[in-house]
Amino acid sequence: MSAVSRTWDQLTLPGKFLAIVVPILAVLTTGLILVIVLFGGAIWNVILANLPVVRFIAAATILLLLSPPIAFVIIYMEMKVIALMNLRLGPDRVGPWGTLLSTVHGLKVLMKEDFTPTRADPVVFTWAPVVVFSTAILSALVLPFAPGLFGQDLNLGLLYFFAIGGLTVVGLLMGGWASFNKYSLLGGLRSAAQIVSYEIPLTLSVVGLIILAGTMSLNQIVQQQAGWFVNWFVIRQPLGFLIFVIAATAEANRTPFDLTEADSEIVAGFATEYSGMRFGFFFFAEYIGVFIISALTTVLYLGGWNAPIVLPHIVWAIDIGSLSGWILAIVAIVPVLGTVLLGAPFFLFRSRTRWWVALIVGFVLFNVLAVGLFGLWAYISFDWVAGLFWFVGKTFALVFVFVWLRGTLPRVRIDQLMGFAWKWLLPAALLNLFVTAFAFVVVH
Amino acid sequence: MTTTLPPGTHVSGDDPNVLIDDDYASYEPIPPYPPRTEREAEFYTLGDGEMYLNMGPQHPSTHGVLRVVLKLEGERVVDIDPVLGYLHRGVEKLCENADYHQTISQVDPLEYVSSLFMEWGPVMAYEKLLDIQVPRRAEYIRVLSGELNRIASHALFMGWFALDLGGLTPILWSFIERDEIVEMLAALTGQRMLFNYFRIGGVNGDLNHEFLSRLGDWMSRAVGQIDANTKLLNENEIFVRRASGLGVIDTDMALKLCMTGPNLRATGLPYDIRRAHPYSVYPELDFEVPTRSEGDSLARYLLRMEEVKQSLRIIDQCLHQMPDGPIMAKLPRLLRPRPGRAWAALEGPRGLYGAYAISDGTDQPFRLKIHDPSFIHLQAVGALLPGHLLADTMAIMASLDPIMGGVDK
Amino acid sequence: MDRALKLRLEARFGGVLRGPVRQRQDQTEIRIAPRDVTDVLRALHDEPPFSFPVLADLAGVDTGDTLQVVYHLWSGTTSDWLRVIAEGLPREDPRVPSATFLWKGAEWMERETYDMFGIVFEGNRDLRRIYMPADYTSFPLRKDFYLADDAARSPGAGVRHMERSHAPNDAVAGTVRRTGAA
Repeated sequence: MSAVSRTWDQLTLPGKFLAIVVPILAVLTTGLILVIVLFGGAIWNVILANLPVVRFIAAATILLLLSPPIAFVIIYMEMKVIALMNLRLGPDRVGPWGTLLSTVHGLKVLMKEDFTPTRADPVVFTWAPVVVFSTAILSALVLPFAPGLFGQDLNLGLLYFFAIGGLTVVGLLMGGWASFNKYSLLGGLRSAAQIVSYEIPLTLSVVGLIILAGTMSLNQIVQQQAGWFVNWFVIRQPLGFLIFVIAATAEANRTPFDLTEADSEIVAGFATEYSGMRFGFFFFAEYIGVFIISALTTVLYLGGWNAPIVLPHIVWAIDIGSLSGWILAIVAIVPVLGTVLLGAPFFLFRSRTRWWVALIVGFVLFNVLAVGLFGLWAYISFDWVAGLFWFVGKTFALVFVFVWLRGTLPRVRIDQLMGFAWKWLLPAALLNLFVTAFAFVVVH
Repeated sequence: MTTTLPPGTHVSGDDPNVLIDDDYASYEPIPPYPPRTEREAEFYTLGDGEMYLNMGPQHPSTHGVLRVVLKLEGERVVDIDPVLGYLHRGVEKLCENADYHQTISQVDPLEYVSSLFMEWGPVMAYEKLLDIQVPRRAEYIRVLSGELNRIASHALFMGWFALDLGGLTPILWSFIERDEIVEMLAALTGQRMLFNYFRIGGVNGDLNHEFLSRLGDWMSRAVGQIDANTKLLNENEIFVRRASGLGVIDTDMALKLCMTGPNLRATGLPYDIRRAHPYSVYPELDFEVPTRSEGDSLARYLLRMEEVKQSLRIIDQCLHQMPDGPIMAKLPRLLRPRPGRAWAALEGPRGLYGAYAISDGTDQPFRLKIHDPSFIHLQAVGALLPGHLLADTMAIMASLDPIMGGVDK
Repeated sequence: MDRALKLRLEARFGGVLRGPVRQRQDQTEIRIAPRDVTDVLRALHDEPPFSFPVLADLAGVDTGDTLQVVYHLWSGTTSDWLRVIAEGLPREDPRVPSATFLWKGAEWMERETYDMFGIVFEGNRDLRRIYMPADYTSFPLRKDFYLADDAARSPGAGVRHMERSHAPNDAVAGTVRRTGAA
């Protein structure tokens, strides 16, 4: 034992990490290979028999795995964009232009002490962030990211979305109540009132769109917006779009409706007593919520995964097989040639550049070019790549708008918020509905 | 083995070795002593459906260390009890044991945002005790730097007011303004914030090239920048709706509450010490006293922005009318005024800044009483707030512009 | 220096003034007894030849012998500041009528004076300490207040009780200054 402990003490921290992880990984890999070899066929049959369930599990897993990166990107955007609007720099040091900062924030949140306040209700206190986070993920299951890329194409996709999204308020109330803190209680109650009152204009504003589209399935709504951008529902339902965006901002607790977490009045609202990963869940859930409402707005009103213009149909098939022997030559020569050709102008026209710096620059540029060409080929050849590109682009444009709103606008007060929802948004949504229905009947 | 716990305790959920008292720390901010006055008794008895909320000394938004106990009925504030003293430094007592010159740097940190005005009061009082005439150039420099400090203070007010309402951007934009002014004053006085610039009988240093060049540079851009900054808020519907009709004071109530400065002028009474009881060289300067009649938070905010424009006018005139001459009166090193009393008051960004100095013939003041407007205006929050919502607490407090250093002396 | 104000004051308050009306530069000063504060302040506030609407300051002063309360008032009818000194308050039991019946804003100023000097303002609904903690036992701005030097060495003395107000005889020589200036 002493020899082992002495050797252990001599290892550095990365050494210790590797000494633990590598054997475990080796064992797991061999186990996995054994299982696949022995039971592979049986497993495959089971999967094929239960395809919907497997699809659900896969979709939920992928969404869960993707949500931290998306949240990180949005958090970074928020910090950087608001900073630039405030005429300051924002994250600058960690990573190029501070891009790794939100990752570091995520790690920091994992490392913080995760305690429960003395008189808090431990079960409810622990489950509140889980509820909030999981409702966000579950509601994203019906979003069509690209043709064929969705968790499930429900007939009632939109209804499902609003139903699950409304469960968020349960989580917020749980968090607010269980914290045994008056600030949290006020924050939770405010959020309950706010979300419940903005549900109604939110759902009503979409009914006009449902009348026009004739379906509640999100996939089919996107498919109906194919073609030029004049087919997008935002042209046909401008008032609905406006109401939807405003109500969605309130649903996601974003400024100007962020009084549930108004940190100049009630410290952090329902999340006051949370720290560590539980706070991380609330934090993530908020930014995933921003992503999801942007995604929903894109899907419903801005054409989803459709391009705004109709691109001519190109086929760019590369038949790797026909090149056979030449492939080795291409792989050997093209990168070198590209590096030299792209680096040459820097060396030739700028006397301060040394030749190896020019080669490095050329290499980087060649990589950029190669990745760009590959992306272009993927865009042309696979329609899901093209769809994903447009979907993500539009969604992040809307996320930028939400972040812009946060940087610019002050907060509304609770009574002004409720008054706005019940006295202005609700009648406007009803008006939109009646006009759409009337126009629909008249036209058809 | 089950061990019985002592009654009234339970095991902590996080660490099983720790026992927690169930009556551990009263969670309500009710004082652990019997009420000392009838007002305290009235405040600390709860009615039906009411609760206490303690906005403690550590809070993102009280203007310094201030503890405010609110009695709420849901979201509506029924009553409020501010608790002060977290920043009390005993400045008046310290001044009694310091030279006359040392007291100037003692009073600087009281209203740290507008330190020059805080110094100006005692300095004027001592000059009255000593019966000395301050050279005209020194007076002009005092007015010039004072008005710059007023603009800086109002810029801070604007940013802080917007921050308390939820807008993240205006404070950073106004701090750009403030930074430029503060750098200017650092070129003039040597310090960015607690200037220690005024001396008994004059000022510490003359205008220098760096200060004048920065000032000229800034003045050429000032109006445009201030307009751009205020446009962000003035035309913002949410901000206007949050601030208008909030905390309305009428002139009678304001005078009863001993309010002065922009808070009083926003109710309609054009009371400005620079005109009501002129001092220094203000009689020679041409400026208006902006007044508004609504008396709500929005009026206070707009009034302060108009005052900034008037300050720019004054600075302009000072620069053009600056006389030559000495910047300090001839005084002995060791000051021993004749026994007597003197009071001096001036108009600062928050209101009436006053100093009452008593001299007993020695080289230390016998008593220096500083009158601070933030102290008075914080009382007004208690009179204005009941009936408003929780979110308005911060809005009203921010619109009255208290600085806790001055409140707590 | 407003001579007319001096004449008006002497004419109206001649009986209750405890000394001549002093004027220096732009300040006029009158001295009254504590029991006359209510009448004098009300007259100064309400009566037309005076009509002082603004209470600029309310201060306490410890002259070494007795305590004083000093009010500073402003009016549009005169170019001077008016200083009203209520003097002669005994150290053991200083009591003055409160000015809150005229100016509600005097409440906190009186709280501060009570906190620092111990002067009790009768009629102030909220006369409790404002700067010092509630269980503080001495009045800091009095001339016979001093901090005990060896508080740090005392094991039982907490922060709050380390300052004790001794009788003047126990004080270090030179602490209490009696002058005729205030």
